[in-house]
Amino acid sequence: MRRRDFLKSTGLTAGVAATGLESVVAARRAPAFAQGTRLNILRWVDFVPACDVELKRQAGEASKALGAEVVFEFINANDLQPRITAAIQSGAGPDVIMMLHNWPHLYANGLVDVTDLGEWLGTEQGAYYAQSEAAAKDGRRWLALPHGIVGLQFAYRKSWLEEVGQTTWPKTLDELRQVGMKLKKKGKPIGQTLGHTFGDAPAWAYPLTWGFGGMEVDRTGKKVVLDGSATVEAVKFMQAFWKDACDEGGFAWDDTSNNRAFLSGEIAATLNGASIYIAAKRGADKIKDEKGESMVKDIQHGPIPNGPAGTYSYHVAFSHAVMRYGKNVKLAKDFLKWLHGKEQFAKWFEVAEGFSVGATKYWEQHAMWERVDPPMKIYRQAAAASRMIGYAGPPSARATEAYTKYIMVDMYAKACQGMKAEDAVKWAAGELGKIYG
Amino acid sequence: MLIERTWKRWVYFYIPLTVFVVGTLFPFYWMLITAIRPDAELYRSWRAATNTPFWTLQPTLEHFRDLMAKTTFPQWLWNTFFIAVASTAISLFCGLLAGYALARLRFPMAGALGTSIFVTYLVPPTLLFIPLANIIRTFQLGDTPWALILTYPTFLIPFCTWLLMGYFKTIPKELEECARIDGATRFGAMLRIIFPIAVPGILSAGIFAFTLSWNEFIYALVFLSSPEKKTVPVGVVSELIRGDIYFWGQLMAGALLGSIPVALVYSFFVEYYVTGLTGSVKG
Amino acid sequence: MNKPIAGGAGSAAGLEVVLPHPRTTQPQRLTRLLENERALAALLLAPAVVILGTFIAYPFIMGVWLSLSSTSVGNAGEFVGVKNFAKAWNDSIFRTAFGNTFFYTFWATLFKLTLGMWLALLLNRHFRGKRIVRASMLLPFIVPTVLSTFAWRWMFDPTFSVLNWLLFRADLITTKLPFLSDGTYGMWCAIVVNTWRGMPFFAITLLAGLQTINPDLHEASSLDGANGWKRFWYVTWPLLKPVTIVVVVFSVIQTFSDFQLIYVLTGGGPANSTHLLATYAYQVGVATGLLGEGAAISLFMLPVLFVVVWLQLRYLRRMEGA
Repeated sequence: MRRRDFLKSTGLTAGVAATGLESVVAARRAPAFAQGTRLNILRWVDFVPACDVELKRQAGEASKALGAEVVFEFINANDLQPRITAAIQSGAGPDVIMMLHNWPHLYANGLVDVTDLGEWLGTEQGAYYAQSEAAAKDGRRWLALPHGIVGLQFAYRKSWLEEVGQTTWPKTLDELRQVGMKLKKKGKPIGQTLGHTFGDAPAWAYPLTWGFGGMEVDRTGKKVVLDGSATVEAVKFMQAFWKDACDEGGFAWDDTSNNRAFLSGEIAATLNGASIYIAAKRGADKIKDEKGESMVKDIQHGPIPNGPAGTYSYHVAFSHAVMRYGKNVKLAKDFLKWLHGKEQFAKWFEVAEGFSVGATKYWEQHAMWERVDPPMKIYRQAAAASRMIGYAGPPSARATEAYTKYIMVDMYAKACQGMKAEDAVKWAAGELGKIYG
Repeated sequence: MLIERTWKRWVYFYIPLTVFVVGTLFPFYWMLITAIRPDAELYRSWRAATNTPFWTLQPTLEHFRDLMAKTTFPQWLWNTFFIAVASTAISLFCGLLAGYALARLRFPMAGALGTSIFVTYLVPPTLLFIPLANIIRTFQLGDTPWALILTYPTFLIPFCTWLLMGYFKTIPKELEECARIDGATRFGAMLRIIFPIAVPGILSAGIFAFTLSWNEFIYALVFLSSPEKKTVPVGVVSELIRGDIYFWGQLMAGALLGSIPVALVYSFFVEYYVTGLTGSVKG
Repeated sequence: MNKPIAGGAGSAAGLEVVLPHPRTTQPQRLTRLLENERALAALLLAPAVVILGTFIAYPFIMGVWLSLSSTSVGNAGEFVGVKNFAKAWNDSIFRTAFGNTFFYTFWATLFKLTLGMWLALLLNRHFRGKRIVRASMLLPFIVPTVLSTFAWRWMFDPTFSVLNWLLFRADLITTKLPFLSDGTYGMWCAIVVNTWRGMPFFAITLLAGLQTINPDLHEASSLDGANGWKRFWYVTWPLLKPVTIVVVVFSVIQTFSDFQLIYVLTGGGPANSTHLLATYAYQVGVATGLLGEGAAISLFMLPVLFVVVWLQLRYLRRMEGA
């Protein structure tokens, strides 16, 4: 795709979509799409199954409202990227695809410009979180429409921490290591994945580096600055933390393994989305602790503790992208406007119970937060504290490439498997150099 | 020398055979036990005294029910079957004709052509994957079963051709020549004399091709998108993996149910399969 | 063993499905044409050549072009020469994957061959329940790989492994073995699963080979004691060699470009220590979207496969000639 063609076609589709939207909004009636028009939307299989049930229900309503059949497809999140690549290359596939992290930048040339929708959402629902914007906005252009953010916090067993004399969640990383050491001695380690998996692995690897002051690139996004004492310190911490406090099975864990391990009482704490708590709550009659009580009463959440350079998080941004090869671009945009609008999004948001929060600050004020259990309240404003991968550079496809190659994750994994911290950092910096160079 | 002492027969025959049988079948037992285990038991700690990994006291069909009710599993099963049968039929048809030509007819470049058909078997699928996606777009086959029915023969035809070519070589030329003397055409002799004799070979090639199609994952993952058009491996893997519920029960139920049709085919044809291979491997 | 009556019925049914009836308005001219060996050959080869040409030859050329270009997902690339190959060769992960692929192929094939041969010899004897045992031995081969590999992954699970539980209860270990969470263990686990899956194919094919051997030698093919071993080595093995080589060729091709098993079992982790060329090519090309680099990594497989197969086939021909 040459730049000229690209500009031409995006300009064209944006124009078409704008008129389409006006007509829907103005007339509030189903626009006439050809009989049998079908809109396919590809999303991950939600870690909160009820969310997918709600979306399927909404699909039925949307079909009536838009006059075209809306069909959701849910697949395992680790299989999303191959599907996107093949869809773009073959020019056929779902009309709308959910993007995680900052994938919109990686697939930018395959996506329809949705600046109109992005601006509309920002006006209707207040200021975006920086994370939402970094994930889906390329300078002035919106590549995808932010949907929500899945916050990641430590879930931990209150009573187990109390057993080792810890009544509050550790404030610093060192404190976390001390507590973890005591827990591991009792056979109740902390669980953290260092495997190749999309969410929990980077959500630990990146913030840990930032917490010690390390970063991948400088502000220009051109010079790799990873190889420095800050990153080495972070890796050294991780080596000690791994040995002293973590379940060493974590090398082979995917995003689901720690949920499983936590719920069956194998680990005392793990960095995760709220799905552990939500599952424990819904399965309160099945998921018991060792005393036979429902485990959910013993679960609390805490943030990633402070590092020497501060405390940071990486929360995963979700957005919906309209695919350029699609034949129903206008319909897709109408649908997104319907789905992301206050009325419909609120229904889905309430089902998620805080697992996914909104893309804008508006949703912090939602009445749901008054109703949720105390352990869930930490997710209310969590999204504001997130940095984007590829920090401190601007959001870019290169940051995504580094992420999909799991370079930061592997840096820690290599070190924990016995490589010298300095060498692991050097290796990672070298790999980043190949990407950014 | 045919009379063996009992202990000898045990040491050299029964014990090794038992080890093989147990080793081969244990994963299936494991699938079954996981599929009928209630969720509450799956949440039990590794170290718990009540942990009974090898059996369950409250077997349940809940996972099978969920699989049938909450996913479109029967539809996946049908899709997989249809795709496997169609691509096997195409590959057998092509392989049968090409195998005969390469084994029996003299024409220029016969050797080179045979080799190049074999070499196509070597091309790694990861290389073909993206260009194939382009072709599928050109022919507008995306998200239809034909995307798979036409791409699976790429790895099935070379195998079928090679296997049948070997089989044809074992059939004596005289049979054909006799028929020709009796007035049969070359084509007629092929059709009425040679092909019927080659049935065991055709069956083994067919069974093998069917298994490979049933098994395929990566093309099916990316070339199909609608939930109701998926095949069993893709449907089970992509829709049953989620974080906070133990999907293992349904996953294993799906694996078991997904293997039954092929297992049936095999149990009917295993003897033919062996005899068919016997023919072709001789050549 | 082969029932002629059943075979005959099967053939009629099979032919009806597979072959079109040669009806034509001008039978004579067609007949004459078909008597020409070259014309007939061209006709018979056409379907295979068309399908393979469209879905392999063309994509293959495209793939080679991709490997020489800087194409990434959604962006048409420019010609960059062998830059992608050079980049791959200097990439530490690629080298690991390259080494792993050889290691994996070698050991898995060796195990499949020895165990498959042993099983074939056992199955070649007469015993009660022979039929059912033979059929059940094929089971691992027919379950879709991804699904059976999931069962294995569940058995190797870092937290819940039933194998660890067993060893633990038997007091053989005090801490869990890191089945998939250690690179070396992970590789061996993959080899075990591959062997489990591929051995039945070896066993059944070799069994087929054994059955072509004169029945008088049947008893000789059982492996009992030093005497039996000698008989196997001097009588059975030479006759079985051609079949064995053919099976090994096919197995090496399959194993060398294996993808599904590693994809499901470890995803190439931990820290890229279990990547094979196919899974790494997939991760770079398809997951990361660097289509050019991914294609280059895939192409590294081809010459290696070619050499291996060529050597094996040459050996086979020489033996046939002898």
